[in-house]
Amino acid sequence: MAPGEKIKAKIKKNLPVTGPQAPTIKELMRWYCLNTNTHGCRRIVVSRGRLRRLLWILFTLTAVALIFWQCALLVISFYTVSVSIKIHFQKLDFPAVTICNINPYKYSAVRDLLADLEQETRGALKTLYGFSEIKSRKRRDAESWSSVWEGTRPKFLNLVPLLAFKEGEMGKARDFLTGRKRKVSGSIIRKESDVMNVHESKEVVGFQLCSNDTSNCAVYTFSSGVNAIQEWYKLHYMNIMAQVSLEKKINMSYSAEELLVTCFFDGVSCDARNFTLFHHPMYGNCYTFNNRQNETILSTSMGGSEYGLQVILHINEEEYNPFLVSSTGAKVIIHRQDEYPFVEDVGTEIETAMATSIGMHLTESFKLSEPYSQCTEDGSDVPVENIYKAAYSLKICLHSCFQTKMVEKCGCAQYSQPLPPAANYCNYQQHPNWMYCYYQLHQAFVREELGCQSVCREACSFKEWTLTTSLAQWPSEVSEKWLLSVLTWDQGLQIKKKLNKTDLAKLLIFYKDLNQRSIMENPANSIEMLLSNFGGQLGLWMSCSIVCIIEIVEVFFIDSLSIIARQQWQKAKQWWAQRQAPPCPEAPPSPQGQDNPVLDIDDDLPTFTSALHLPPAPGTQVPGTPPPKYNTLRLERAFSNQLTDTQVPAEF
Amino acid sequence: MDAVLERILAPEPSHANATEALNFTIWNHTPLVLIDEQNPHKPVVLDLFGDNHNSSASSSPAPGRTCDAQGCKVAMRLCSLNGTVCTFRNFTSATQAVMEWYVLQATNIFSQVPRQELVAMSYPGEQLILACLFGAEPCSHRNFTSIFHPDYGNCHIFNWGMTEKALPSSNPGAEFGLKLILDIGQEDYVPFLTSTAGARLLLHEQRSYPFIKEEGIYAMSGTETSIGVLVDRLERKGEPYSRCTKNGSDVPIPNLYSDHNTTYSIQACIHSCFQDHMIRNCSCGHYLYPLPRGEKYCNNQDFPDWAYCYSDLRINVAQRETCINLCKESCNDTQYKMTISMAEWPSEASEDWILHVLSQERDQSTNITLSRKGIVKLNIYFQEFNYRTIEESAANNIVWLLSNLGGQFGFWMGGSVLCLIEFGEIIIDFVWITVIKLVAFSKSLQRRRAQAHYASPPPTVAELVEAHTNFGFQPDVISHSPTTGTYPDEQPVPIPGTPPPNYDSLRLQPLDVVESDNEGDAI
Repeated sequence: MAPGEKIKAKIKKNLPVTGPQAPTIKELMRWYCLNTNTHGCRRIVVSRGRLRRLLWILFTLTAVALIFWQCALLVISFYTVSVSIKIHFQKLDFPAVTICNINPYKYSAVRDLLADLEQETRGALKTLYGFSEIKSRKRRDAESWSSVWEGTRPKFLNLVPLLAFKEGEMGKARDFLTGRKRKVSGSIIRKESDVMNVHESKEVVGFQLCSNDTSNCAVYTFSSGVNAIQEWYKLHYMNIMAQVSLEKKINMSYSAEELLVTCFFDGVSCDARNFTLFHHPMYGNCYTFNNRQNETILSTSMGGSEYGLQVILHINEEEYNPFLVSSTGAKVIIHRQDEYPFVEDVGTEIETAMATSIGMHLTESFKLSEPYSQCTEDGSDVPVENIYKAAYSLKICLHSCFQTKMVEKCGCAQYSQPLPPAANYCNYQQHPNWMYCYYQLHQAFVREELGCQSVCREACSFKEWTLTTSLAQWPSEVSEKWLLSVLTWDQGLQIKKKLNKTDLAKLLIFYKDLNQRSIMENPANSIEMLLSNFGGQLGLWMSCSIVCIIEIVEVFFIDSLSIIARQQWQKAKQWWAQRQAPPCPEAPPSPQGQDNPVLDIDDDLPTFTSALHLPPAPGTQVPGTPPPKYNTLRLERAFSNQLTDTQVPAEF
Repeated sequence: MDAVLERILAPEPSHANATEALNFTIWNHTPLVLIDEQNPHKPVVLDLFGDNHNSSASSSPAPGRTCDAQGCKVAMRLCSLNGTVCTFRNFTSATQAVMEWYVLQATNIFSQVPRQELVAMSYPGEQLILACLFGAEPCSHRNFTSIFHPDYGNCHIFNWGMTEKALPSSNPGAEFGLKLILDIGQEDYVPFLTSTAGARLLLHEQRSYPFIKEEGIYAMSGTETSIGVLVDRLERKGEPYSRCTKNGSDVPIPNLYSDHNTTYSIQACIHSCFQDHMIRNCSCGHYLYPLPRGEKYCNNQDFPDWAYCYSDLRINVAQRETCINLCKESCNDTQYKMTISMAEWPSEASEDWILHVLSQERDQSTNITLSRKGIVKLNIYFQEFNYRTIEESAANNIVWLLSNLGGQFGFWMGGSVLCLIEFGEIIIDFVWITVIKLVAFSKSLQRRRAQAHYASPPPTVAELVEAHTNFGFQPDVISHSPTTGTYPDEQPVPIPGTPPPNYDSLRLQPLDVVESDNEGDAI
């Protein structure tokens, strides 16, 4: 190709480097100024007129100074860190507030279902610890459980027997039901950690879970009988409740009117109709305030306790289940409208006979997804099916993952989490060994063997309410009398007797101020930044631009490749020619082929432009004669040409 | 007069007879009524004192007494314009109705009492603060600055920093914090004004007004409340970057809390804004907020409509939003993050002696006058990591902008600022040349016109020929023009820059001169 040839020619011409580009320093400077890529110098030389030249010198020097200054600033600012947290002061959406009684179902309503279990628990307590019913509690007087006990064969203790172990003789355990000792095979798993040194001499209580064929058993022991009894009770309780239909459960639990005595939001009265029912398997009926009813979200435009939610709750302690829950009060969860309230995991507990004031601060965080971090926007790209009807969160993912695995492995679903499609809750009748399976699976889950933790990813954006909780005595001694009687009047028909102050709890939830903090991740480098940084680097080191890059690509890739290709082609041609005519005289072809490019160059040299510029004849004729003189002559001539070139447009 | 109300709401209506001797003036102004909603289309309004007193509302006396909570709603009747326009403010619970009503009436009464009397009626510092310890140094109620809060009465501020320098506490840990024992005197509470018992406290910046109702927390009596504090300080740059104000001078609402010489805060602005609206709409100030100059607090005598007006304004969302939009946050904001924990105090074993000592210290009596229900212990201290400053800094400054511009310009064009200047120079040249050309063109036009005017003598040809012949360089010119390539060869000593331009200029200049002299055809 033509440019390739030209470059080749140029290279050939310029290859013998005989020293600096110019003989004197002045000439060298001149040469540099004319040929350099930085523009100021060239202007200095090229400009005509003293004032112009002076101006150009001034400009160039200023530019150099500016570059130094700016670079210094950049280097300094390189070592500073900037954090960006935005704060808005605005009207804020009030979060959804879910309130649950700690006790899930009214004991009077569930009693029939749990009667057998209760009897057996009491029996176990009696034999293990010598505890018998306190007679002071009237409502349990009627039972004479011990007599019933003799008659029927206990089914729960048979299924999962409670055992008492003697420390030291681990292999043997005393089944307290029959009183005889029996051999326990299988691994013994302690609920308490092995590191903790639990009471040395005392008996240890636990229970044994076996799989189908009872060959594979695991024994769970607890350091305290309280934990053992509660866990054991809970297992059976879940089993029983799993067989009860949802409507029945809702009816057994508290109604909104019962739980919420008064309600006041933002200076306006509200009542049970402002709360939506949410049934939680372990906490019974919970009520959510501001759960996007009628598609509107309530908002607060004033901070302070007066403008938040004020609720008085009725917590009927007499209806509490003695074995399932041991604390009294309510649980409050503050969450986003589309979030699932995890009552058992998060949540603030509220005491009775107290006013609990909860001040909130809203913090919003946004993370950048895929290329920057591992988070997910809406969970659609996580391979776990969301069995909750709520927005994605890491917790939902983990629970869903566990539940799906549970259905896979054990064939039934765990009671405290929602049902996946086409599955039902575990119970003895259909799944006799589900407990063993569940405990095994749970342990595997905790040890991260199920792979849930690696599959689930955190959500990219979340709202977080920082809570400041403080308590005060309520009602105060002087206001107690009138308050209780008026509240009783309020409740009217629902409660026959006078309210007691230990049955009531006051709750205040409000925004402390309307400042919303949002922490946002922004990409540190946008594409413009990247390009301009490229440009900066290129310009800094090479004074080069995208044109420069194109030039490089052209010269070093296209041109050189084409040259190589042509050479190869010619070689191939020669080789072919040789093959075609092997008997021909050997000398002429090869020198001809080698000479050809040289000849081409020679042909190329005296094109009219180059002929005008440089006279080749004297140079070739007298190669050895004084070179410096000729060089200068040649150079000078080149300058003159350039000068005239630039002069012409200037004249016009 | 309060007890009456309670008795009426509470079940026994028979007691109403016993309370004949009541002063009904307050009651008549804004009565509480029962609304029977058993028939939803035609609600029946029942006055609680209906049979004792003839009120203006439609009071159907006898059957209403049987109404219970299920069918009835308690409401507050708020009237204006001499009772012609009335609204009923409904409550779902009688408790709320009673409290709201009582608070409304209390503000009415208190607003007529001068401030000094109210201060005297409230708890003085020496009665409230039983013991005080700051770090290892003892302190007393004299170290506290008293301030009157309309809701809470006398409040006492420790280390406000108004007159003296703020106390430093650099050491973390409960030992170096503030320890207080307070006596809240629960027996002396007003039963209807508040139903909670305890102390209310607020941690705030030095020299700022404490908005204790909005931001305060409770401390319970009979317990020790430990508060671990973490200071979160936020500094913002101000206007071009974020919408905030340094000292509130650029906010269009006058700060009513400035008489304490306190700094600006958004709460102060919002409260001032509300009071401003209140004065504009109801022509009197609300008791809970400070009063601007020359205005009066609302009361039933002077402003009979105020309760109606106030409750209207209070639930008005548009009013609040205008206030939110008018007010700006302050640029420096300090947040105190608290970790609160509680324990029972005094313990049963220590209760006797602690109460004994405290009561003796308070009133020099040997018998115990304090009770467990009335005392509060507070520990306020810094947590381990106690101070955090979040500072705003500009993400993009002028250096960044320039370097990015330079980068972009260099990347796509290989240009620089000098390039731009160069471009500017060329433009200037271009303009200059066009101006010259235009001037010349217009000159020639004028001359042509002039020529057209004279149009007679054509002696120019001869003159031209003469001029050409006069020059001796004519053969040179002829020989020079066709063979420029051979030209350098002819010159033995080539100083190429100098001779040809000379010739050129020589050639051109005389031509020009000649042509212009001869009123030439074209340049």
